[in-house]
Amino acid sequence: MAETTQLELVTPADIMVQKSAEMVVAPGAEGLFGVLPRHAPLLSDLARGIVEVHENGKIANRFMIDGGLADVSGESVTILTERAEDLDKASRDDVKSRADAASGAEADFLNAVLAAL
Amino acid sequence: MPSLKDLKTRINSVKSTQKITSAMKMVAAAKLRRAQDSAERGRPYADRMQQIINSLAAKADPSSAPQLLVGNGQDKTHLLVVVSADRGLCGGFNGVITRQTRNEVARLRGEGKTVKLIMVGRKSADSLRRELGDSYIEALEGIQGTSVAFADAASIGEKVRAGFEAGEFDVCTVIFNKFKSAISQEVTLKKLIPAEVDEAAPAGDQSVSYEYEPEEDELLAAVLPRNISTQIYSALLESSAAELAARMTAMDNATRNAGDLIDRLTLVYNRTRQATITKELIEIISGAEAV
Repeated sequence: MAETTQLELVTPADIMVQKSAEMVVAPGAEGLFGVLPRHAPLLSDLARGIVEVHENGKIANRFMIDGGLADVSGESVTILTERAEDLDKASRDDVKSRADAASGAEADFLNAVLAAL
Repeated sequence: MPSLKDLKTRINSVKSTQKITSAMKMVAAAKLRRAQDSAERGRPYADRMQQIINSLAAKADPSSAPQLLVGNGQDKTHLLVVVSADRGLCGGFNGVITRQTRNEVARLRGEGKTVKLIMVGRKSADSLRRELGDSYIEALEGIQGTSVAFADAASIGEKVRAGFEAGEFDVCTVIFNKFKSAISQEVTLKKLIPAEVDEAAPAGDQSVSYEYEPEEDELLAAVLPRNISTQIYSALLESSAAELAARMTAMDNATRNAGDLIDRLTLVYNRTRQATITKELIEIISGAEAV
């Protein structure tokens, strides 16, 4: 088993994901960056985009986030974001109906999720 | 001496009140579990946000730091965000918030400052409207319930931030009931602007040399507005859990009180009935003796 880093994806309402990953790719405000275990401590602003979780050399999960912060240390990656959506679990119809019901930033985000699905 | 019929009516009415209060208690208890759960699940986000701000603030240069962190150098106009409940029947819950707000406003006005208010929740807004209504910027209701949406907190946060940038106020404080346990709440005043920074942040974090992307001050400027929404959200979550806890305790007391009242009334009812029977017997016996 390859060395892993601990990923946490936290939204205001809940800790959404808590798992270990070989690599996490996050959409930094100044460009995508990948985080491997033993990464140097980094605090980065995030843009809206997709967080990729790599396991066994493949992408295991993809999460759409609506901006936020990444707190990276040698053993862990903590992503704080106001809105997040699991792209593997979300269904097109469900997101579509929620996007129609929501307004403002929420609707904007859900439409972006829809486009990424 | 009340008649038997009056007593019977009274007992029945207390019994139906007791049924209502005990039902409300059970409803509050069931909702409390969910609200408490979501208040607890909301804590990690707020805590980590605070940690990040602590570590950034320690590095920021006070002279060039964003105004949301250090304030705009003035202390004239205060904005209070008051969080109470939309509904009553929850003991002293709204009362303490109302009282605390009134004292705080009086204190600030005594120091010659202007006070503005954003009221969240109908109850305190209604009870203070007569005396402080002209200081209201806004009175919101219907935000709190079993689940609090982050979007609502974010829209309040957005208003606060816009108001601060427009120079409408200098200092912003939230007043809310913090959920301590099912039987106790604590009125809490939390300063939003300038942001509260824990000076005694663990030194372990500072020893690590972080890389920042973008630079510290830019990052700080991006984090602080989000922090306002986050703090408001956590105040709303705490307050709704505290409201349900207060309602549960109040309704439990009311149910018990109704039980005591029923016992007392039943005793009076039985005594009265016995007295009537005895009186009738005496009349019959003395009537028979006279014949």
